[in-house]
Amino acid sequence: MLAWNFIKHFPCKNLSRHILRDRVRPLCFCTCSTPPSSFSISASLSYSSSSSSSCFTDESFTAPYLSVRIHCPKHVLDPFSEALLCFGASSVAVDEDIDEDAASGSSLASKEICIESVFPVHEEVKMCISQAANSIGLKEVPKFKVEMGDEQDWITKNQELFQPVEIAERLWIVPEWTSPPVTEAVNIILNPGFAFGTGEHPTTKLCLLLLQSLIKGGEAFLDYGTGSGILAIAAFKFGAASSVGIDIDPLAIKSTRHNAALNNIPLEKLELHLAPSENCSSGREIPLQKQQFDVVIANILLNPVMELADHILSFAKPGATIGISGILSEQLPNVIERYSPFLEDISVATIGDWVCMSGAKKGEFIDN
Amino acid sequence: MAAAAKEILTRRPVAATIRLTVPAGGARPAPPVGPALGQYRLNLMAFCKDFNARTQKYKPDTPMAVTITAFKDNSFEFTVKSPTVSWYIKKAAGVDKGSTRPGHLTVTTLSVRHVYEIAKVKQTDPFCQYMPLESICKSIIGTANSMGIKIVKDLE
Repeated sequence: MLAWNFIKHFPCKNLSRHILRDRVRPLCFCTCSTPPSSFSISASLSYSSSSSSSCFTDESFTAPYLSVRIHCPKHVLDPFSEALLCFGASSVAVDEDIDEDAASGSSLASKEICIESVFPVHEEVKMCISQAANSIGLKEVPKFKVEMGDEQDWITKNQELFQPVEIAERLWIVPEWTSPPVTEAVNIILNPGFAFGTGEHPTTKLCLLLLQSLIKGGEAFLDYGTGSGILAIAAFKFGAASSVGIDIDPLAIKSTRHNAALNNIPLEKLELHLAPSENCSSGREIPLQKQQFDVVIANILLNPVMELADHILSFAKPGATIGISGILSEQLPNVIERYSPFLEDISVATIGDWVCMSGAKKGEFIDN
Repeated sequence: MAAAAKEILTRRPVAATIRLTVPAGGARPAPPVGPALGQYRLNLMAFCKDFNARTQKYKPDTPMAVTITAFKDNSFEFTVKSPTVSWYIKKAAGVDKGSTRPGHLTVTTLSVRHVYEIAKVKQTDPFCQYMPLESICKSIIGTANSMGIKIVKDLE
């Protein structure tokens, strides 16, 4: 009865064009585990001026949500979870039993399992659940309970995860409320708000190590995509003369200012600029002089570093070192191809799946 | 080979499995990612950076289906799949939501051609690669029907 028999010749209306950028077949990533060292997450997003002193968040973080617990028959767990997501749930989580071995004859006294689900606050939870149940042929609508989500619950849990991190010998990243484990080391004090860059991520580590090797004293440093400001601050600690941080996120700027103060860096020495994002009108340039910096590091993502390559390069003096990270090793060839016309002595450092590419900007006189 | 054996021997106890939809390249620690992962003490920024890096090849904001395995030591792994079938169906049909009374009220119709196209994309997902296209099509039609969207031979 299937349509199968009716399929003849189709014009090539390739649906994957709608979701893929470059006609690449979508692959799936079974991936990365983070090391167990717990860490506080920094993420910044805020337009609100009322940030608490300990955490920079935004309305979107404290946005209300619904926390729904649903009792689901075990045998339909997978299809029901998928169906819930189709019909309005934002997320679906299932606690696992420790014992997965069938051989142990684990006693499954209960035939039901609890699903913890998050719904947007305006969603009709009962309707979604019943539609989801209906779509997989469940006779009864599962029992469920709705509660208002408590954002303090998850925000606080993540704050608690932050521990001091040792990047290299005598280089530590320390949360604001902890005293440095090694007082004589170079200690960068951070508030784990919600801006990226707490030192634990491989890319931050790679960039910090690169920076440490490059800064001898007196350099002008540009941190493109500054996040929490960790690199800009580290540069100062290593002896740079000046640091400039750029980010498209206003909260990152705020977070960096706060972190600079924690490290006793006067505001005049750390210049910060908000880069125009796509939503802003173009034509507004960052008020920075070109060819001004001895070291430029951009730890962002593949697409921005590709699109902004000329821009990032323009701020570097000839002979300056450029570092690019936030890149997976499989994305490296694209980045090298994009940057190699402008860089020489390209080298690559790797931690796990992540890489940091660095090179020296070629002088004005480029061979044709 | 050796890696697989080693993995089985050192398989970490699983705390939870979390499923959610996240826009490609647009993961942020705010809801829904925040509460969903934060409950299990997973490193939100690490997930966001990782997810965003791995979904750079998709058009920004395409909703990706993510399955995260959270381990008891707060580490995690995740897989990313192409958008959910219902997303494709809605996009192909040009509607925002399914019918409020599926089975009774049909919102719109799609042709079998759409079903075929969607099936071809879904077949590239892991776990679906060895499924016959016909099975995938059946599943898509089922989902469409439950959304109040009828499948017809040809749209004229």
